[in-house]
Amino acid sequence: MIGTIENRDAFLSKIAQQLGRAPKTELAQPIWQYQPQERVLKNATKDELVEVLVEQCKNIHTDIVLTDTANLTKDLQKVVDNYGGRSVVTWRDERFERYGLTSFMTEHWSQMGIQLYEWNPAQHEENIRQAEKANIGITISEITLAESGTAVLFSSKNKGRSVSFLPEKSIILIPKSTIVPRMTQAARFIREKIRDGEQIASCINFITGPSNSADIEMILIVGVHGPIKATYIVIEDQ
Amino acid sequence: MAMKTSDDLFNHRVTKELDNTFMRGAVSSAQERFQTRRLLQAAELGHWEEWRSHGEEIRKHVLANLDFYLYQLSENVAQRGGHVYFAQTAKEATDYIKGIAKKKNAKKIVKSKSMVTEEINLNTVLEELSCEVIETDLGEYILQVDDHEPPSHIVVPALHKNKEQIRDVFKEKQGYDKTEKPEELALYVREKLRNEYLTADIGITGCNFAIAESGSITLVTNEGNADLVTALPKTQITVMGMERIVPTFEEMEVLVSLLTRSAVGQKLTSYITTLTGIKEEGDTDGPEEFHLVIVDNGRSDILGGEFQPILQCIRCAACVNACPVYRHVGGHTYGSIYSGPVGVVLSPLLGGYDDYKELPYASTLCGACTDACPVKIPLHQLIHRHRQVIVENEGRAPVSEKLLMKAFGLGASSPTLYKMAAKMASPTMSPFTKDNKISNGPGPLKAWTETRDFPAPNKDNFRNWLKQRSKGGEQ
Amino acid sequence: MKVTLFATCLVDMFQGDVGKAVVEVLERLGCDIDFPENQICCGQPAYNSGYVKESKNAMKKMISAFEQAEYVVSPSGSCVYMFKEYPDVFQGDPIWEQKAQALADKTYEFTEFIVNVLKIEDVGAHLEGTATYHTSCHMTRLLGVKEAPLKLLRQVKGLQYVELPGKDRCCGFGGTFSVKMGNISGEMVTEKVHDVEQTGADILIGADAGCLINIGGRINRQGKPIKVMHIAEVLNCQ
Repeated sequence: MIGTIENRDAFLSKIAQQLGRAPKTELAQPIWQYQPQERVLKNATKDELVEVLVEQCKNIHTDIVLTDTANLTKDLQKVVDNYGGRSVVTWRDERFERYGLTSFMTEHWSQMGIQLYEWNPAQHEENIRQAEKANIGITISEITLAESGTAVLFSSKNKGRSVSFLPEKSIILIPKSTIVPRMTQAARFIREKIRDGEQIASCINFITGPSNSADIEMILIVGVHGPIKATYIVIEDQ
Repeated sequence: MAMKTSDDLFNHRVTKELDNTFMRGAVSSAQERFQTRRLLQAAELGHWEEWRSHGEEIRKHVLANLDFYLYQLSENVAQRGGHVYFAQTAKEATDYIKGIAKKKNAKKIVKSKSMVTEEINLNTVLEELSCEVIETDLGEYILQVDDHEPPSHIVVPALHKNKEQIRDVFKEKQGYDKTEKPEELALYVREKLRNEYLTADIGITGCNFAIAESGSITLVTNEGNADLVTALPKTQITVMGMERIVPTFEEMEVLVSLLTRSAVGQKLTSYITTLTGIKEEGDTDGPEEFHLVIVDNGRSDILGGEFQPILQCIRCAACVNACPVYRHVGGHTYGSIYSGPVGVVLSPLLGGYDDYKELPYASTLCGACTDACPVKIPLHQLIHRHRQVIVENEGRAPVSEKLLMKAFGLGASSPTLYKMAAKMASPTMSPFTKDNKISNGPGPLKAWTETRDFPAPNKDNFRNWLKQRSKGGEQ
Repeated sequence: MKVTLFATCLVDMFQGDVGKAVVEVLERLGCDIDFPENQICCGQPAYNSGYVKESKNAMKKMISAFEQAEYVVSPSGSCVYMFKEYPDVFQGDPIWEQKAQALADKTYEFTEFIVNVLKIEDVGAHLEGTATYHTSCHMTRLLGVKEAPLKLLRQVKGLQYVELPGKDRCCGFGGTFSVKMGNISGEMVTEKVHDVEQTGADILIGADAGCLINIGGRINRQGKPIKVMHIAEVLNCQ
């Protein structure tokens, strides 16, 4: 479906008129004189980036766990237990299977009293209801920004936006291969998708730790509208 | 509430706010914190001047080609199923949004923080339709509950309120019965607003940066409220000032990096979200209907003129945090939702000189704002330019001042007149002079001597000393 | 070396001792001082308040007065900065723009001149005491003279230097601001005096007469035992 556009011509004509020329509908790509963002963490190795990520998590009230596929299940369980278990909502994502998590979660959790709900594109209302009352939401980062400690999540029918911010606690799985220096690389990655004609996700979320606010006397409160706690689990996947 | 926040006279506002001890303490301590963090982040990032220059060139380029980028943006938004409405005036914007609310029979609307929606007085218009409009940003929510008190800072709107005052607001208006501890106040708001997101008909947001190449809008928050506002209600309306746009994701990330460091001293805020069009097929969350309202409201009149650089602004409030005048008088003194240096420049341009003629004089032209601006807007020069316009074009300078300045102009260009004045200065001022100083000055000096002594004019002026000396007088 | 003194109207009328100190210090450093009689005022009071037309004649007077000079030196960063703005004020004027540029190019603030032109940092000054230094806004931010005063002060024998908290913060003078918005200005200078007191210094040093008259005026009114000195006076102490 194509949306409507109203009142554009007069609006843009006024702008062009003020700028002293005719309206433009074409423009060459700008060439920038400065590109300071290129320098940041330029030659860092993946391992160095992981170190930067670990350091940064200290500044953003986020716990971080380093693990590998062999130990992932055990380490994830620790975090889930630490967060009080009860109810977990996850994306529908084949990587849960690939990492050996799906079988573990579906087989063991009901016995442990942990209710598991997987996002279901055919059950819109139920999805929101479950996410709203869930204790924990588990998502997977597509690109991870070391400098700021940021996970980048792309929404889709299987990967609801709400999973990362409706539940009280947030666990984000971070495959080590997704870690890049900073947002600069993520922006390029997204632009390539656009150039390839891909339709980018309706929501791309750059998430850095749990939600917070300093609106009351500039005192930092962690956990306002979004999650009150966050943990990143970095998985050695190479 | 529109851009103008007070009908009171400027001088009254100054006196009132100078008396507000809590506000002044809160503002100066917030300034310290924000400035320190901004400088720390700039140092850690390195090559800060290059970053500023890059930010400046991006914003200048966009303004010079604004019509193109808005064209591209609108095409791409429409491609992704969104509706674009170009609103030249505030009324056009609010009429359009009113139309949507009516069509949807909307009863409840949740909003994330947006200065431009305050500028166009959107909440009032919607409330007249019997819509319940709920601000979800914590600071804005507090002010809304407190009978729509205007914000006093672009980034921390309730900076002027202490936690006891906030507790009292909730107690009186909503029956809150817990303490003034910030965690408890925040938890109360979290629980209260939770259900509102889930039951709202429409979500309204502002726009930190629209991205032309993809038809996306970018929202920058720490609270995550903008995500809830846009994920849950079926209809989303985004209102943007027309200049809040970048060409691609690459420029967005540069400006976001400058914004978050300059505003709150963070590398990135907790939630930076780019939203593109309506929800995709099969998506559970996200809007079924999306409207982008692009607002002019006087901005195009600034284009092509000498004040154009103010449109480079990314609303970080670094200038506000650096301003030594704001430090003492706080945001409400400016009588505009845009306070501090950016407000001094922008308010008269968008709102006219009638309501804002004193603002350009509420500055020492110290340049701290210009230094702090991440996109290198020459703020103090624009403030000075307003003074020139006020004097020359608007003819609004007070008559007594005009006369004084004319006298100055004469005296300062005539050595004879000057020497006469210099000779007369000491005897003229002698009735006011005691112990070689003036403690109770006449005329314009009175405002000075309320708090300070003024030195008595040299009895024997310097140039005579120099002349005597070269004649072989005293060595 | 021939140096032409631009005394400034404030020094000429109210702070003659500063002018005397400037002359004595520069002479001691080997300069021959000359003083064009036709100099009056750089035009700041009118110009900064928006009265550009009214200030132009005064400016032209200054340009003419200093036309023969090789080096123009002044003990006021703000007045020197005003000279640097003259080319913009006279932009497009077929006669005066060029003259203004010539003047701007040869004008130096006092400390900048000693350190960057005379290449001297130790002027042989001696002053016992603890001092702090207020960096005037126009001189630092706008004119860009930051290091020179401190380099000179470091070499003054017997002088203990304590940094002023918020040294870069405006003292509240701002020319006509100090009377137009006298109450706000009063609050700003009160905070500045409080900051000076916090350092425990017995001397406050500055390089701009406007700031010193402002802060000194408040110190006097509050009866604080802090001596206010222009850096020229400090450097003139033997």
